[in-house]
Amino acid sequence: MKRILALFLCAAALTGLAGCGTRQSSAELFAMDTVMELTACGKNGEAALDASKKEITRLEALLSRTRADSEISLLNRSAGKPAAVSAEVGQLLLEARAYSAATGGAFDVTVAPVVSAWGFTADAYRVPSQAELSALLTRVDSSKIGVELTASGAQVLLGAGQSVDLGGIAKGYASDRVAAVFEDAGVTSGMISLGGNVYVRGKKPDGSAWRVAIQDPKNSSGYVGVLKLTDAFAVTSGGYQRYFEQDGKRYHHIIDPATGYPAESGLTSVTVVASANDAEGSVGGSGTMCDAFSTALFVMGAEKAVEFWRSGGYSFDLVLVTDDGRVLITDGLSDGFSQEKGAGYSYETIRKTAS
Amino acid sequence: MRRSAKLRPDPRDLLVAAVIVLAAAALGAALWGRASAGTSGSGLTAVVCVGGQETDRVELSALPKPETRVYHGSGHTLTVRFSPSGAQVVSADCPNQDCVRTGLIDAPGRSIVCLPARISIQLTAADGGGVDAVIG
Repeated sequence: MKRILALFLCAAALTGLAGCGTRQSSAELFAMDTVMELTACGKNGEAALDASKKEITRLEALLSRTRADSEISLLNRSAGKPAAVSAEVGQLLLEARAYSAATGGAFDVTVAPVVSAWGFTADAYRVPSQAELSALLTRVDSSKIGVELTASGAQVLLGAGQSVDLGGIAKGYASDRVAAVFEDAGVTSGMISLGGNVYVRGKKPDGSAWRVAIQDPKNSSGYVGVLKLTDAFAVTSGGYQRYFEQDGKRYHHIIDPATGYPAESGLTSVTVVASANDAEGSVGGSGTMCDAFSTALFVMGAEKAVEFWRSGGYSFDLVLVTDDGRVLITDGLSDGFSQEKGAGYSYETIRKTAS
Repeated sequence: MRRSAKLRPDPRDLLVAAVIVLAAAALGAALWGRASAGTSGSGLTAVVCVGGQETDRVELSALPKPETRVYHGSGHTLTVRFSPSGAQVVSADCPNQDCVRTGLIDAPGRSIVCLPARISIQLTAADGGGVDAVIG
């Protein structure tokens, strides 16, 4: 009997091993104004992808600024009066407010009216006048968002004329939620790519790290380099992703909350990478954090971004691409970053302590 | 030292061990064979999805000459040119023209996305080469 049991157990183990290599489920969906790719390995992969798609659809309905029935639209319509929202939206607003404070306002969800004035919300692009921008900028201040968590959800009070747009963290938050879905489903190998937001779980089925390329801002078919990642979030923000041109000048979608104009910081892209796991002495990162910081550090520019990274308040690494042809990589990534030969960039490693 | 009679292997134990070793060898051979088959052809394939569903698959390296195909999604039409060197949206009636501006894609992992039409074109390699995702 013991021999039969041993034989059965070995067969089961071998079958499971083979299954991990062959059972890879993939899905694509359009949501949150982008295309999303999801891959999960293992016997629960298909179920995990179905649950992930439902979760993303739920989040879009909850957080969209352009859907009239979303909680965010409800909140924006009630500016100046308290609005009852779910605890989830309340928590996310608190998190957004914290990232705004941490970055000195370089990330700010209340920049929404300014983004709309440029036409990026409705794809109706225009260049607003300075007077219009100056008036709208008086409404931009996340610290004025009042959030009180209650037994049934949250009460949120926006300042007069304020509105919020969670587009800067919604996809990052979605990646956090999908990571939780993968965890619950027992998926140990998988990857999701939510339009510039990537989360990789474990290693690839062949045991190697996931290879995530960073697009070359100057060349849509090229890379500046490739990251080798396991259990990590990576998010890129760049001015080349969405823009319009008027009178020979290009205007991109990352608005500096301080000026109301598209940020001109000398950076062409910012990639923020964070481990999804807790390490000794630090708490693991999140997709939400990476999403917020990629926008904020793009606004700040290279010098302030590196200073922020060195301050050590949050655990993450960076790949910065500058408009003068440099790629700056923080030293936590130096072993897992492959330079792209022939891309025409010079590569520099940034250390924690300035030399 | 006297060995316990219970721990001494008998012919039936050896038979079980032999079956396990043979099974492992067969599995290894099968996986190796599949991996070898995967690397034998490293040509590019373009996978076209409309509304999240795969609707076309074009093996670019097998094309004798460039060809164009037309796809429809969400009320928009895209004309895509496939050639052994890559894929490119040559015209589209979508409002933002982002898909056209993407230009030629020619490496595994690269993709063209038309959000208004909900159409994506992604390049894959038979050997899984290239990258798993592109951010930016």
